[in-house]
Amino acid sequence: MTNRDGARLLALPPSAVLGRPTETLADVDTTLEPDAVWLLGPEREARAFARTRQMFDAPAFHPPLETDGEVVSRQPIGTELEIAVVRSLRALRASPADVSSALSDSRSTPIAVVCDDVTTTTRPTALETGLEGAAELAAALPPGRVTTVLTSGVPAGYDELWHLAAETGAIRAVEHEPQLECEPAGDDCVSVRVRGAGPVEGYGGSASLSVLELDETGVTAVDTYERSDFGLEAVAGIGPKTAERLADAEVTTRAELLETPIDKLAGYPGVGRDSAHRMHRHATVLEAGEPRRLTDESLPAESGRPPLCLDIETDGLSPTILWQIGVYDPADDSYRAFVERDDPDDPAPVLEALCDWLFASHPDRALLTWNGWRFDYRHLGAFVARHVPYYVEEWESVPKFDLYDWAVREGHALLPGRTNKLEDVAGALGYEGAETGLDGAQTAAAYQRFLRTGEEFDWGRHEAYCEDDCRALWHVYERLRDAPRATDSSDTSPAEAEGATPSGTTGGEQTGLGDF
Amino acid sequence: MDTDDAADEDGTEPTDGSREDVPVTGDELLETFPRYRDEEDVSVLEIPGREASTVPNDEVLRPELAGPLEYDLYAHQAEALAALEHDENICVATSTSSGKTRIYALQIARNVLEARARGERSTAYVLYPTKALSRDQERELNDFFDVLGLDISVRVYDGDTDPGETRRQIREGADVIISNFAGVNTYLHDHDRWARFLSTCDLVVVDESHTYTGVHGMHVAWVIRRLKRVLEYYGADPQFALTSATIGNPGEHSSALIAESVTVVDEDGSPTGPRELVLWNPPARARADGSDGDSATAGGSEDEADNAVVERVPASVEAPKLLSHLCYHDAQTLLFTPSRKLAELSVKRASTHRRDRSRYYANPDRGSEIEPYHAGHSRTKRHGTEHRLKTGALDGVASTNALELGINVGEMDTTVQLGYPGQRQSFWQQIGRAGRGTRRALSVLVAGHRTLDQYVANNPDYLLETDVEDAVVDVDNDAVFARHLLCAADELALKGADAGAFAERERLERAVEMWCRAGRLAGHLETGISYVGPPRPQGSISLYATSGEEYAVELADGVDERHDPEMEPLAEERVLRDFHEGAVRLHEGRQYEVCAVDHDSPRPTVTLRPTDADCYTRTRTDVTVLDAVSEESREIGDFTLHFGRGQVLVYHGTYDRVDVDNGDPKEQGLPTENPPLSIETQLCWLEVPDALERALVERYREFSLEDEDGDGDEDGIAETAHLGYAGGLHAAEHATIGVAPLELMVDKRDLGGLATLSIDSHLERERGENGTTGKGGTSGEAPRNVAAAEATVRQIADGLEHEPKSGWFIYDGIDGGLGFSRAIYENFEAVAERARELIADCDCGRVDGCPACVMDDQCGNDNQPLHREAAVDVLDRLLGNESGEALEADAAESESGSDRRPPLFYS
Ligand SMILES: [Zn+2]
Ligand SMILES: [Zn+2]
Repeated sequence: MTNRDGARLLALPPSAVLGRPTETLADVDTTLEPDAVWLLGPEREARAFARTRQMFDAPAFHPPLETDGEVVSRQPIGTELEIAVVRSLRALRASPADVSSALSDSRSTPIAVVCDDVTTTTRPTALETGLEGAAELAAALPPGRVTTVLTSGVPAGYDELWHLAAETGAIRAVEHEPQLECEPAGDDCVSVRVRGAGPVEGYGGSASLSVLELDETGVTAVDTYERSDFGLEAVAGIGPKTAERLADAEVTTRAELLETPIDKLAGYPGVGRDSAHRMHRHATVLEAGEPRRLTDESLPAESGRPPLCLDIETDGLSPTILWQIGVYDPADDSYRAFVERDDPDDPAPVLEALCDWLFASHPDRALLTWNGWRFDYRHLGAFVARHVPYYVEEWESVPKFDLYDWAVREGHALLPGRTNKLEDVAGALGYEGAETGLDGAQTAAAYQRFLRTGEEFDWGRHEAYCEDDCRALWHVYERLRDAPRATDSSDTSPAEAEGATPSGTTGGEQTGLGDF
Repeated sequence: MDTDDAADEDGTEPTDGSREDVPVTGDELLETFPRYRDEEDVSVLEIPGREASTVPNDEVLRPELAGPLEYDLYAHQAEALAALEHDENICVATSTSSGKTRIYALQIARNVLEARARGERSTAYVLYPTKALSRDQERELNDFFDVLGLDISVRVYDGDTDPGETRRQIREGADVIISNFAGVNTYLHDHDRWARFLSTCDLVVVDESHTYTGVHGMHVAWVIRRLKRVLEYYGADPQFALTSATIGNPGEHSSALIAESVTVVDEDGSPTGPRELVLWNPPARARADGSDGDSATAGGSEDEADNAVVERVPASVEAPKLLSHLCYHDAQTLLFTPSRKLAELSVKRASTHRRDRSRYYANPDRGSEIEPYHAGHSRTKRHGTEHRLKTGALDGVASTNALELGINVGEMDTTVQLGYPGQRQSFWQQIGRAGRGTRRALSVLVAGHRTLDQYVANNPDYLLETDVEDAVVDVDNDAVFARHLLCAADELALKGADAGAFAERERLERAVEMWCRAGRLAGHLETGISYVGPPRPQGSISLYATSGEEYAVELADGVDERHDPEMEPLAEERVLRDFHEGAVRLHEGRQYEVCAVDHDSPRPTVTLRPTDADCYTRTRTDVTVLDAVSEESREIGDFTLHFGRGQVLVYHGTYDRVDVDNGDPKEQGLPTENPPLSIETQLCWLEVPDALERALVERYREFSLEDEDGDGDEDGIAETAHLGYAGGLHAAEHATIGVAPLELMVDKRDLGGLATLSIDSHLERERGENGTTGKGGTSGEAPRNVAAAEATVRQIADGLEHEPKSGWFIYDGIDGGLGFSRAIYENFEAVAERARELIADCDCGRVDGCPACVMDDQCGNDNQPLHREAAVDVLDRLLGNESGEALEADAAESESGSDRRPPLFYS
């Protein structure tokens, strides 16, 4: 949806195809717009493959069934790109030369090799992680350069550069940040950049679909989705069982759901009136791309001056420094970034600068974040207490709001967007971002490298990324502010509005984490 | 555990001084018990009492604290408080009811008073092994602080605490938070919410620290290391106070748990009365008439139900009679049983005994208020029983070890133990329940059939020796370390500073590299490493298994919830051995059948349904050891003992259904459908000197196996001259493992062994021999099943250019190891001494022994061949006993030195 210069490869596990309604797969297709569909191996799933080919417009492939008498087949992705698909490691072992020749074809070099058998094997008792298929890859892939291997054997997002001895496949070294630096390790080395497309364990089940954005350099971005982000199950309150029951009644799309009267919906087993209303409301939100407020609760800091939209960048999920703190002030459409460029060993100056500015210039303003209770406020609180303890009291007295928390976990609003990531929600609400091509993990890794090496750092790009998040947050806030409140909407009785608070979101993907 | 402290203070202590002594003495028991006894079956031991040794309170405590205390401190309490004052960590290892709780309670009080004087706060984290104990101690501590007149808020925070606001209030307001290690493991994820509490933490209490051994102990050791990291982050550097039952190595064990030096306080200053200890071996069973034929009942526990050669009345039948008898004679009695079911049954049997002997027990209602007690009862019911015990309304209770740890029920006249509890530590803790103040107490141990019971019954001095078992906790298991490392990185970025403090640098770097390659960690040690895997790695830690591969135990569909066994998740190793499909298991005295095992799903499960079968199951096991690498060795005489690591392949391929009554197999060789299990673990092995081997081969060359069914000789070795000697090694292997729990707090079920005539073929091959190295890091080469592994071993044996050594291996049966075989390596002589006594003293009179000496129901070779005499010869020589020396003569005459030795091995 963002990067249309390259091509989009949808990685789809067979379980996401079998037993899913046709309409759900159609929803996947229209939402994700893949240029090619990879039905994941290594198990051979002929039925799932037939269905995939039938359901998706884009060409589909399934490595275990890529026979054609060849070990390797070529698969176009979009109009410009091509990848090589290997049936299995066993096939590769049998005739490594086929892959070598496919990859050295000078007319068009595939940008990646797909092999679902490639996976990591971790032996904690030996403190070792090895690469299954290392020997086969070393025998088949060209030495002296980096080849990207895509596999469902590791989770989507996995990205490690394995340097293998060309002769034996023995592991020479593994680079952990190929997104920052991806160089071959010499002519006697086969360098394999392994990128995952397999299921990711998450908070609520598994995100099992992924979209890989490709260009001529390889994979540029990976997005993951859960099966339940599509079709009827995208509607809060509809799980697999309810979806099945509805399908029996020939309700398989959100449009059909909206055409089914509440009374009728409420009559299905396990539904009931309240949840029927809830389903209708969420389906409307998803279909129209408009947010909807479920209660009469005012937005955080709705009266008075607007809140300051805040976002932090760290050097990792367990941060040692909050090196960038961005604040967007909607009151005068200004943006301010507090960035540590000089002494990255000292977390105090950035915090001090933020606090100085905040308490001096904006003593009465509230802060707003997206999922801040889990991340931004959590770390800011701990870091302020540790590094600028003299500001603790003031910091604690600043009113802090978390728009995600308010809307999703407290259940005051429904949002369009297939996931609850800010980028997704803002995108679904029409926000056009700066397209920095970054995400939090990349920014963190890049800053860590700057910490280690002192090498030049693209401050502009990383600051733009942070600013973009702050502005996206404000965009979502405005759209929510403009959305009608519960009592303003015609199909909601006051009684329902009362009952529509938190319980409304305990099912489905909008559930937050349990408190500990 | 000293729940009796507060009772001392508030005067609820029974003050009935009218009876100077216990209502029944040991001799009176023997005289009055209505049955003929063989004198050999019973020993009465006298344990002298101890005078109190006290220190005036005001010498130790500030006036605000000394004032309200009614009694002086015991010397060990004073010593511990002094050590705490000097900023030392302490481990208090003294008897039950010696006032250990009071030590840390007073230290908390001192810390709070000092902090408040400075206008600050002081908090303490107090950790108990069970939730029940947490609630009990919350009351005790609150009562004690009331007595001191201090406003110190003590709150329990665990899985039963209401979520949300209640928890927030406790985190932000409590001075003392009581929890357990499963809780600490979980709560560390959200340490920022605990910042207030952690940053003011001055004391961490680890109560009943001796319970942290084996797998559980190493998890606790790592949770403590993670806790210390987080505490340091918040600028806290608390002291640790551990309290322990009496164990052999309190200092070493405590230091291993907390990774700091610890001052041990073990000179007990509390008084005790003299005690009589009766070791009661039940009489031979009256075979024909069946008058003692309650034999329809299984033995006391999983281990006890295994006897083919049962001659004596089971302890489960005899002990309830003693309970009944003692209660009749006005002695308030606590019977300890190994299972819930036996607690219930014992109460019934006690009353049956009365009725059966109605002529003797003329007044049937006298002393007949007897109740069962175990964790399966509701909290209300348990509190009721506790209260009635305390007030004397109950004459007796039959309880599981739920009453062993700490719960306050006052003091009894008498304890009876149904079977030896397996550890001296536990033995003493249980009998510590008897004895009112300094008056005489009586404790009776009714021996069961098991090896350890019979050893204790035949060697009464064992119990009186001053040494108690060493507690084994080990942090060398890399699998466990690696999992906690993920949690640590999730809690706070891993940095170079963690090298040394959290783990030695090389180990840390290897583990970090492993997880980075697996995509679970990201970053660099210089700048910080974060966890990037699935959320909350703490949730995937099981405090009872080494790998994440643990099996949830579930009840079959449609079975009433009240049958839920409420079992902890099982380690894979246990599932394969004991919980294969079709297995019949006893858990907490209830019988279950395994109806399904799911090995493959991301969340593996074992499904059970309750059953009432007249049989139990026993797996048959093939074991072999491969690629063992010696890391350390030492000489014992002319033997060499090694410690190292290696691969153990275990295949529990078939199982038997065995009759509960007589131990006869009903069905044999049923398939388990198990996959084979390969573990990389720690092991130790003993190499027997060649000369001794030659002598013993010669001496026992006539030994052969009766090949009853004609197919036992699959390897064609039944007639080999080496068989008698091999039987000796095999018997010695069984016995050393069997008696290890007499010296060390190890669980025999976590140990395995292999006796072999060719140790060398189980060792990692030198480069060049057979063209390859042993492992070489390529997983593809390792044999995938036991048959292939055994073939490999035989093939290596054939290819050896020198005569191999013979001997036996002992290994930890848990992936990554537990430190058990390491502890055996370090204490081998003591273990061997016990094994020798066990074998030599057994009165079974059989060459191949009996279940009380060298037979083992876990044997992979059906207890064949076994040779007691040969085993004693080997152990005598190892221990430098004289009879061992005489063997040289045989050796000189030996002509069999040139016999090619067959590569035999037995597990
Ligand atoms: Zn015997
Ligand atoms: Zn055996």
